[in-house]
Amino acid sequence: MNYKRFIYYQGTIGMASSMIFPFYILLIKNVGNSYAQFGWAYGLFALTAALCYPLIGKYADHVGDKTLLAVYSWGMAILLLFFPLASEVWHVYILQVFMGMLGAVQKNSEKTVLARYVTKEIAGTQIGRYHVWTSVATAVAVIATGYLIDFLTIASIFYVASLVFAWSGMLLLKLNMPEPQQ
Amino acid sequence: MKTAWMVLLYLFIFGLSLYFYSTQLNGPTADLHQRLLPVEIKTIKAGMSEDELQKIVEDAKQGGDTLSIAGMQHSQGGQTVYPDGIMIDMKPYNQIIEVNEEKKTVMVQSGATWANIQEAINPYGLSLKVSQSQNIFTIGGSLSVNAHGLDIRNGSLADTVVSMRLMNADGEILQLSPQENTELFYAALGGYGLFGIILDVTLQLTDDELYETDTARMTYSDYPSYFKQHVQKNPDAKMHLARISIAPESFMKDMYAITYKTASDQGQLSAYQELKTENLVAVPKFFLGLSRINEAGKDSFWNAQKTYTKQIDGNLVSRNNVMRSDSEFMEYDNSRKTEILQEYFVPVDQFEDYIPEMKAVLEAHPDFNLLNVTIRYVEQNEKAVLSYAKEDMFSLVLLVNQGTDAESIEKTQQVVREMIDVTLAHNGSYYLPYFGYPTKAQMQAAYPKTEEFFELKDRLDPEHRFMNLFYEEYRP
Repeated sequence: MNYKRFIYYQGTIGMASSMIFPFYILLIKNVGNSYAQFGWAYGLFALTAALCYPLIGKYADHVGDKTLLAVYSWGMAILLLFFPLASEVWHVYILQVFMGMLGAVQKNSEKTVLARYVTKEIAGTQIGRYHVWTSVATAVAVIATGYLIDFLTIASIFYVASLVFAWSGMLLLKLNMPEPQQ
Repeated sequence: MKTAWMVLLYLFIFGLSLYFYSTQLNGPTADLHQRLLPVEIKTIKAGMSEDELQKIVEDAKQGGDTLSIAGMQHSQGGQTVYPDGIMIDMKPYNQIIEVNEEKKTVMVQSGATWANIQEAINPYGLSLKVSQSQNIFTIGGSLSVNAHGLDIRNGSLADTVVSMRLMNADGEILQLSPQENTELFYAALGGYGLFGIILDVTLQLTDDELYETDTARMTYSDYPSYFKQHVQKNPDAKMHLARISIAPESFMKDMYAITYKTASDQGQLSAYQELKTENLVAVPKFFLGLSRINEAGKDSFWNAQKTYTKQIDGNLVSRNNVMRSDSEFMEYDNSRKTEILQEYFVPVDQFEDYIPEMKAVLEAHPDFNLLNVTIRYVEQNEKAVLSYAKEDMFSLVLLVNQGTDAESIEKTQQVVREMIDVTLAHNGSYYLPYFGYPTKAQMQAAYPKTEEFFELKDRLDPEHRFMNLFYEEYRP
């Protein structure tokens, strides 16, 4: 597999998701009503993720990491298109449930890819290097978005992030991964 | 092939989302619902010097623009704004010009806050005669709303103004005092910024003093006699406030009173003179938060207040520190709800009959989220054209939590109008700086000189250079 390409892919989705997360709270603030609703929105996210992990774990070994990453990339690309349309707090709750599912897919796949392809003896170095580049991408995205949001609306951030996710879905095509064993 | 389909599907949904977003949701109303009064303000100019202020007024005159004057903008009835007008932000105009120790006066620019004055005069052992209960407001703002405070011995805020200078609609600077330009003087005090820009003000001061806190609990029917016996007739009692319960268990019945009396040993004053800063904001903020949620929260807020009041009994505190009441804990940030104030004045002798009738109105509207009622005393004072104290009155300040949508506003309006009707029936009046819920007829009933006020405005500023939404709404 092409390890560099995987880092590049993770960097791209890291950029896209960190573009929205810190500013996402601004959307909930416009839509939501109280801190309790903030709590619920994030709680639902974590709760759905928890429920999805066992299922995703099983699937990962059957269908392969690449397929799951594709589900995540395209899923996020489409899901983000619904965020600018959210005007009621229950819209946000539903979106959070889907975010929870997709988030779980990504978290699990990231780790399985690493687990499958890292060389045990130099795992520390390799995972370290992986984190350097994905974190750099995240940092750049957050800072840049902070400026961008001054010029654009919050809604446009979701559209831009969605395009980046779609781009990451295209990147996956070039990622060579062995097919699952069975 | 699969990817091509995926990309096509994605682009299709992208287009749909963009279409719906731009056609339906991105209308101009989207960001207006957070405020009760959506208005556009062309520019905000900070008036730093007299010349600059004069230029703003002259430019407005030439360009045919209207001006509104703003301090802290806590008035909720649009007194500081006018659609498409120019709002003058007075906050940067805030110098303390002179503290005169001998004459016991202070001269300040109108954008200074009461806190600014306190910091300037405290080192001289001087204190304000009358100020608003919270010290975050600007002097110009407080004078324009003819505010009152906790002091029960020094009359109204207007009585403590030695003189002031005002810039009229022609950019002329006039000297106003109880002796000079009196007509304009008593119109501008409580004039809601309609008569010109208050530039600087000379206020009469008094000595800082050490007070002993005296607290008591009673039911509402005993309060007027308690006040007369233990507060009004006691020459040592200088400042006073009370609260009536909004908790379901003791609704509109239980009260507690806090009176500040001259301490017998003034020698200790210096130990208490350092100006306190707000502390423990989290505790009252927590209880106020609870009381917003439900009835049990209101019970615990009331119980916490009673416990706290009991604890402070006998505490020594300087006059200046009594005049620095906490307000930070009341700050409230919510995009769908807001907190409004109402203030009603009722003659001391009517209080006992008045409270049960208010209670009946409030109980008929269980959704009306009342969070606090503070009671203070206002001496009869009819100098200002728009004067609310036709005789010696108790003032009731109500803090209300309400939604900002049209339906919530409508509901609150109904309750407010009913409460004002009850107040008027008891020869009372209400305070004008709050949201425009009252009817025009209610204003005229509460303020018999309403017509005179607006006629004076039209005569002194015929081109309506100074305008605000309050004028627009209540001009008879």
